[in-house]
Amino acid sequence: MSRERKYAMIIDTKRCVGCSACVYACKAENNVPHGFCRDWIVSITKGTFPDLSLLNRSERCQHCEDAPCVTNCPTQASHYQGDGTVQIDRDLCTGCKACLAACPYDARYIHPQGFADKCSFCSHRIKDGLNTTACTEVCPTSCLTLVDLNSNDGKAEALMKGREVKIDKPHAGTKPKLFWLV
Amino acid sequence: MLEIVSNKLNPQVLPHLHIWGFEVPVYLFCGGIAAGLLVISSAMLIVKKDHEDLRTLQLATLLSPIILSIGMFFLFLDLEYKSHVWRFYTAFVPTSPMSWGSWLLLGFYPFALLQAMILYKDKLPRIALLQALVIQAERWKKHIAVLNVHIGAGIGVYTGILLATFYARPLWSHSVLGLVFLLSGMSSAAALMLWIAPSTGKRQYSMIDMYLLSLEAFAITVLIIGGITGSANTRTAMLDFLAGPYAPWFWAVTLFGGILMPLALETLETLGKVRFSPLTPLLVLVGGLSLRFVIVYAGQEAATFY
Repeated sequence: MSRERKYAMIIDTKRCVGCSACVYACKAENNVPHGFCRDWIVSITKGTFPDLSLLNRSERCQHCEDAPCVTNCPTQASHYQGDGTVQIDRDLCTGCKACLAACPYDARYIHPQGFADKCSFCSHRIKDGLNTTACTEVCPTSCLTLVDLNSNDGKAEALMKGREVKIDKPHAGTKPKLFWLV
Repeated sequence: MLEIVSNKLNPQVLPHLHIWGFEVPVYLFCGGIAAGLLVISSAMLIVKKDHEDLRTLQLATLLSPIILSIGMFFLFLDLEYKSHVWRFYTAFVPTSPMSWGSWLLLGFYPFALLQAMILYKDKLPRIALLQALVIQAERWKKHIAVLNVHIGAGIGVYTGILLATFYARPLWSHSVLGLVFLLSGMSSAAALMLWIAPSTGKRQYSMIDMYLLSLEAFAITVLIIGGITGSANTRTAMLDFLAGPYAPWFWAVTLFGGILMPLALETLETLGKVRFSPLTPLLVLVGGLSLRFVIVYAGQEAATFY
């Protein structure tokens, strides 16, 4: 019996330069329509001149373990795929927008064709055994890494070792799976 | 300083959530009235032995599924993937209020229509099968009415719980919202019955509406207190609601014009100080519609859970 996978993404904010290559790679890979995006960059500047700090964060769907989009979806279009990712079955989606209202990360949008859409961790690439996403492939500073938390390869542990790891809105209780190294 | 810059594009969530337009508040309003009409007319069929004012009960029972259908038409208009509407009936998801609502709506029609057919049995076409069905159903008239009270109450609560389970939206995230919408739907239904009732029967509907409006005002007060004593998220959202761009609508149209003023007028009308006027139920109906609009719109403008 094969081991159950649990995909997550580790994002090194010290390496991210906010170039948006991940955003455009995703748009090209996933045919994201004009005027929408599945991932985006948030730049946070803090402090008083000249003591300023800049944090760049590449953001996307958090593929939560307790995802409110899944619990609120009336047709099971939003579902757990069994590999740690949250996916949308377009054939089941009615475009009711309950998932958009439910998401505390505002990670979703309605595709012009009528279904809800969001980052899938490039599930088609994972299915092909690539174990990378378009954004991780294109990142010029290698700040994005897709990891399997159930793997014994030590990849996630090596990246997180000695680093402060943050997740977004932990108090939402959704157990998100984007980990920012700050 | 703290400056946050994002290149996120998605228009439906920026600068704030705006996914639901006028269709959803109209649907919630129609759903609330339909539920209220069914609950009140069914309850009267259960508790009252002789129905002096049968016509109002007949009309209320008939209007209930018609108004619900109008509401569902608006809900259909809101769906982004209209050809997939049938997908609501390919799954039952216990954690999704929308799924509960879809199935409850399906249960609403057969029993509401059966009750209407029992009340209109003399006017039904002479089709043997139909007549036989009504004769059989009439034996279970009170049982059907009891079931309809529960189905109606379920739909009424559902219209509020639908929003209340979205904890990412702090203004909506209050369980009391289900009660507020149920009471608002029932008071709107009582107002409609007051409007259509003959002058001899108006007093009882006026009294029912007075009770319901008082309870609604109390439930809204609980909603406000719950908001301003809650977490930073809910407090900010509630204060923005009470003093923000939707405040005039809420205070003037919903609370004063739609609850307090008709409550005062109904008191005077019931006491016989002034004549029953169609203005009073009209104010209640406008107030009920306004409540759905301000809650749906202001809830989307509130900052996402942070």
